[in-house]
Amino acid sequence: MQFLMLANHLIMLAGGIDGDKRPLSGSERWGVTLVGLGVVIAALAILVGVITLFGKIFESVNANQKAKAEAAAAEQKKAKAAAAPAPAPVSAPAKAPVKPVSPAPVQATASTANTDDDEVIAVISAVVAMMSEADGTVYQVKSVKPASGGGFSGRSAWAMDGRRQNVNHTF
Amino acid sequence: MLQILQDILGGLWETSGLYGLTQHPANLLMMCISFLFMYLAIVKEFEPLLLLPISFGMFLSNLPAVLTEDMIFHAEYWNMPQSVDWLWMVLHDGGLLDKLYLGVKLQIYPCLIFLGIGTMTDFGPLIANPKSFLLGAAAQGGIFFTFVAAAYLGMSAAECGSIAIIGGADGPTSIYVSSKLLDGADSNLNTGTIALAAYTYMALVPVIQPPIMKALTTKEERAIKMPQLRTPSKTEKIIFPVVVTLVVALLVPSAASLVGMLMFGNILKESGVCSRLVDTAQNALMNIVTIFLGTSVGATCTASNVVNLDFVKVLGLGVVAFGLGTACGLLLAKLMNKLSGGKVNPLIGSAGVSAVPMAARISQKVGAETDPTNFLLMHAMGPNVAGVIGSAVAAGVLLSVINY
Repeated sequence: MQFLMLANHLIMLAGGIDGDKRPLSGSERWGVTLVGLGVVIAALAILVGVITLFGKIFESVNANQKAKAEAAAAEQKKAKAAAAPAPAPVSAPAKAPVKPVSPAPVQATASTANTDDDEVIAVISAVVAMMSEADGTVYQVKSVKPASGGGFSGRSAWAMDGRRQNVNHTF
Repeated sequence: MLQILQDILGGLWETSGLYGLTQHPANLLMMCISFLFMYLAIVKEFEPLLLLPISFGMFLSNLPAVLTEDMIFHAEYWNMPQSVDWLWMVLHDGGLLDKLYLGVKLQIYPCLIFLGIGTMTDFGPLIANPKSFLLGAAAQGGIFFTFVAAAYLGMSAAECGSIAIIGGADGPTSIYVSSKLLDGADSNLNTGTIALAAYTYMALVPVIQPPIMKALTTKEERAIKMPQLRTPSKTEKIIFPVVVTLVVALLVPSAASLVGMLMFGNILKESGVCSRLVDTAQNALMNIVTIFLGTSVGATCTASNVVNLDFVKVLGLGVVAFGLGTACGLLLAKLMNKLSGGKVNPLIGSAGVSAVPMAARISQKVGAETDPTNFLLMHAMGPNVAGVIGSAVAAGVLLSVINY
């Protein structure tokens, strides 16, 4: 019975409580509390669901991209093994300790990556070998990856031009 | 000749501030209270960026002036029915702080502050662990249970809502709600007293929260180490503000102004293409609005508004609201810890009472007291920023349920 009375008050709350009303009845006090807390929890619980869903989608997209990249790398390795010796590790005098060079930000799209990779790696290795000879330190090219996002590839010429104008324009 | 001199001097005396002080001695008390707040802001550094403008605004509005045209703030203007004539009167006859207070009355400043907060907030920890939203929601229990407590003290619905929102530990939200609910209401309370209580307790978060946190958790629970959070992608961070605004606006349209501006600020930041706007919102705009908001809200703390029993009730219920909010967040975090098999440190629950980033820092500090190698800060930032969204939603609910 009391539950029904409270339910009735909750329905009446839909019309709102008069702000100047004093004092509030017991059902109104608890009605506001229950409805308020319920709506806040419901709203944020919906956000939990939506954001979790988005998170899962992005994780699976990232996982797929990673798997594709790994598969491409494995294929490339096989192709290299079958073909002539790759230009890879540059070993100059082995007197100094080996310092890995951080990967160079090579701009390459996915479609061109497979065909141009060997040439790009050869060029990078040649530059690294020159550096090795110059300072007497042994460097090793461990990986060459296409830079993801940013750079010029992520922005259209129009956007770049707009940005340039914005930066140069002084108000 | 002597009579003329006497008349002139008498007239001068009767228009002087000293004469005004003899007529309104309570103003002197208010000026002393403003000095106390200035001391707390400058020497103790309790929320100085807000407490100092508030206390100086309080000082300015309590300066004794006999002639109404000399007054820097007219408290009586803000209890009148609002109309075009009223607006003209405020603009034409009002003092400087009356004109600045229009930004509070029209709910402009709180929304602009939320824009600035959005540009400074990283929602990454919340995106990485969306369950933190629930902790932010639970901590809003402080708001609604305080509503009941205020109602039991015989307050009206508008007063209950205005006091209860202090439990959200969010200054702009408290100002936003109270300025709407108390607008023209027959009440001794006003936006200034609510804001003063809210900012005072926010400054006292390091004092109020730790005892409750220690009382409601065991040493073993406080020592729980949580796994490292994943790093959300840039795309996720850009989609997040759009999704949150959409969901909140669909469910609680009254909260759309606050949440919308918060998320607008955030998307400006996360997009990475509006660096100049972000810089302005974070610095210049935020600082200007803080000065206007602080001084004008402080100006509403006149003797008639503060020296009464209702203000004492606001102070008492404010502590209750903060304490209950902290306890609700902690208790839900304890429940989540049990359900997850001991993977959630309950201390992060107390950060659900927005107060960004102070509440998260308290979680980190109390956790580090038990185990100095335990780093809870990033885990606590999730519930902390969820608390900002939660308190804005709670504000929207109060504004929807209470007719003003």
